[in-house]
Amino acid sequence: MTMLAAAGPVIPNYAAQSSSCEVDNHLFCWRWVAHNWGPVLWPALRQHILLALVAVAIGFVIAMALALAAHRYGALERPTTIVTTTLYTIPGIALFELLAAPVGLNVFSAEIALVSYTLLILFRNILAGLRSVPAEVLDAAEGTGMSRTQTLLRVELPLALPAIVAGLRIAVVTIIALATIVYIIYDRGLGVPIHRALGEGPFKTELIAAGGLAIALALLADGLLVLTQRMLTPWARARAG
Amino acid sequence: MHEFVQAFRFIAHNGAVAGGPALPSLSHLALETLKVGAIGVAISVLISVPLGVWLGHVHRGSFIAINLGNVGRALPSLAVLAIGDAFLGLGLTVVELALVILAVPPIVTNAYLAVDGVDPDLVDAARGMGMSGWQVLARVELPLAVPLIFAGIRTAAVFVVSTTTIASLAGFSGSLGDVIANETSYHFSGVLGAAICVAALALAVEGALTLLQRSLTPRGLLMVQREHVLGQAGGVPATRVNV
Amino acid sequence: MTASRWSRSRSRIASALSAVALSALSVGLAACGSSSSTTSSSSSTPATTASTATSASSGPGVGKPAVTIGDKNFAEENILGQLYAQALQAKGFTVTLKENVGSSEIIYKALVAGQIDMYPEYTGTLLSAIAEQTKEPASAAAAYTQAKVFVQKHGFTLLNYTPFYDSDALATLPSYASAHHLASIADLKALGKSLTLGAPPEFATRFEGLLGLKQLYGVVPTFKPIAIELSYKALEGGQVDVQNVFSTDGQLLGGKFKVLADPKHVFGFQNVAPVVKQSVLAAEGPAFAATLNEVSALLTIKAIQQMNAAVSIDKQSASSVARQFLVANGLG
Repeated sequence: MTMLAAAGPVIPNYAAQSSSCEVDNHLFCWRWVAHNWGPVLWPALRQHILLALVAVAIGFVIAMALALAAHRYGALERPTTIVTTTLYTIPGIALFELLAAPVGLNVFSAEIALVSYTLLILFRNILAGLRSVPAEVLDAAEGTGMSRTQTLLRVELPLALPAIVAGLRIAVVTIIALATIVYIIYDRGLGVPIHRALGEGPFKTELIAAGGLAIALALLADGLLVLTQRMLTPWARARAG
Repeated sequence: MHEFVQAFRFIAHNGAVAGGPALPSLSHLALETLKVGAIGVAISVLISVPLGVWLGHVHRGSFIAINLGNVGRALPSLAVLAIGDAFLGLGLTVVELALVILAVPPIVTNAYLAVDGVDPDLVDAARGMGMSGWQVLARVELPLAVPLIFAGIRTAAVFVVSTTTIASLAGFSGSLGDVIANETSYHFSGVLGAAICVAALALAVEGALTLLQRSLTPRGLLMVQREHVLGQAGGVPATRVNV
Repeated sequence: MTASRWSRSRSRIASALSAVALSALSVGLAACGSSSSTTSSSSSTPATTASTATSASSGPGVGKPAVTIGDKNFAEENILGQLYAQALQAKGFTVTLKENVGSSEIIYKALVAGQIDMYPEYTGTLLSAIAEQTKEPASAAAAYTQAKVFVQKHGFTLLNYTPFYDSDALATLPSYASAHHLASIADLKALGKSLTLGAPPEFATRFEGLLGLKQLYGVVPTFKPIAIELSYKALEGGQVDVQNVFSTDGQLLGGKFKVLADPKHVFGFQNVAPVVKQSVLAAEGPAFAATLNEVSALLTIKAIQQMNAAVSIDKQSASSVARQFLVANGLG
């Protein structure tokens, strides 16, 4: 075993920089949060938002296509519901692993799984929204000479918006919560600092910071979508009183 | 795909690892998962169903009942378990506490919406026939509310199975998640096998509760029943993804 | 709906949708747009898996092809990854550090697949987990040589190994050690089943675990599965008499725990050496290997224990701990 110079390395005085807050694992150390916002918390939050947004966006496109198809050909509803319900029932932790086997430990497994969980909610809500359009309105549209596509775009979809946004609301919130588990196959998202903190004690500050961010993000997204829902349905608000 | 073959082999061996001694078997872990989950669901149902049903019956507290579901949905299982671990350590009690915290909202919201949403004409007719409040609840509102209440319980039950598994990621031991959290011991084939078992368990629980629901739903209601989504203005059915 | 209400609703819908779309877009852009590029002083970020700090603008590494280093998902490997990456960057090399790639099986697969060009590996682990060699090497040098021979068959090589070794160890409380006159693992034999030994589940099935303890020392304790992160808690709380720990744990500084000697080397030899692709080594020039060897030479047990303590106990980030060490030793 080759040893170099007898003097050995210079070891910095790490202890001088530590504070009792972190060492004694107090409940919440602001200093740690301030130091680690840039390197740890903000990147995790950013990744989390991106994961969720991409999943809901893709899920929305797929669910919309499925709902439009089921709206046109009613027989498609039942098989679609069965498939999406099955996907939805499989716990996230299991579906992530099941996908990682063929697809790999990468963003694709993570996103495929996340998208799967949006499908049932969005499909059901979009379809219900489309179906809730009163027959008289459809007749009126037909009466004014609108084509099927025009009716869809100018009448049915806008009237279905409240249900669609309600579905988006549920989907966004559940995906944000689910994305905390993504780390088991793909090292991104707020689950990463939560997992690391769990392995260190658990390190309370990091747990509360990362966990709190996940919850806050979900509630914020929910609130934004509630506002959107309200903006779109002032008449519904009046009626519901 | 040969990982799946190995995974099924792992399942067939009931979770025994080659060259390994006393690691808990898959069947044992699955049973433990069900046990822990059953306690959580039972407690949650006992708390939530009476509460939600009563609120729906008197048509009060809609803001809380509905938003409870929304807030509950926003709580990631891992975060709740992790925070419980930070404050209280992760024993069975804390896990059950987390399960209850996470399972109560969907059941309450669904129970509330179910009873609150019963056709007011029916309720009026019943009162007109001389039924007392309790009788209306027992004979009219509850039977009609069964499907939606059960949907909430089903959702919560499957979700409880999922969270119990996740508890092992947080350091609790006593569920199928133990295998998934312990790749070093079980290797990826074991993790995959356990994942398959978790999925099967969740589907089985869902199936069992669906059968139970069918048996408890009044005959007449079964015939007219349609899944309806209360997507407009306010009432959002409490669905919950298995985070 | 009347025509005017409909058109009002339509404009409301339009504005609502554009508001949602704009906010989603801006969040999305913010998330994608901010890359993790940082200056070399603030270093790469621990949480992101692929980070690229800015390299020095002069030095032997300038102009050489980019290199990707991986590390496994625990603190010591994170520190090693940061040490090697930052030392190379200080010499002008372009380095991407992929942290937390996974366990030994997974990271080696990544190396073979070309997703990473090098990673720090433990010689004993390389032999047992990857080469699947069952015969125990007789010394640290032998372990290194055998590991090197193995990887060279697959197009890789090992650079110099570190003075420190991070092998499994058995630790106990000083009070327990003095009560039972324990100095080495051999002294545990006399305790038989009255000894409770805690370790992660895989310990029970490994040679560097219960199997070897029985075979080499005749030690047959009562086994209690304890997760790695709970090791020291279990020991302090009295749940176990003896606990499986790692020889470089930061908690071992300060005398709170006593590590039992392992004269028969049941836990093998676990010095660290970078596993590098031979083609990458050739392409990067002699300064590449020289820099890495310089870093490795500095890593004594004391040094790595202090760094582990700073990360695990003081909760400092691996990147800042590594940076300070390199700067203090003229490599940062």
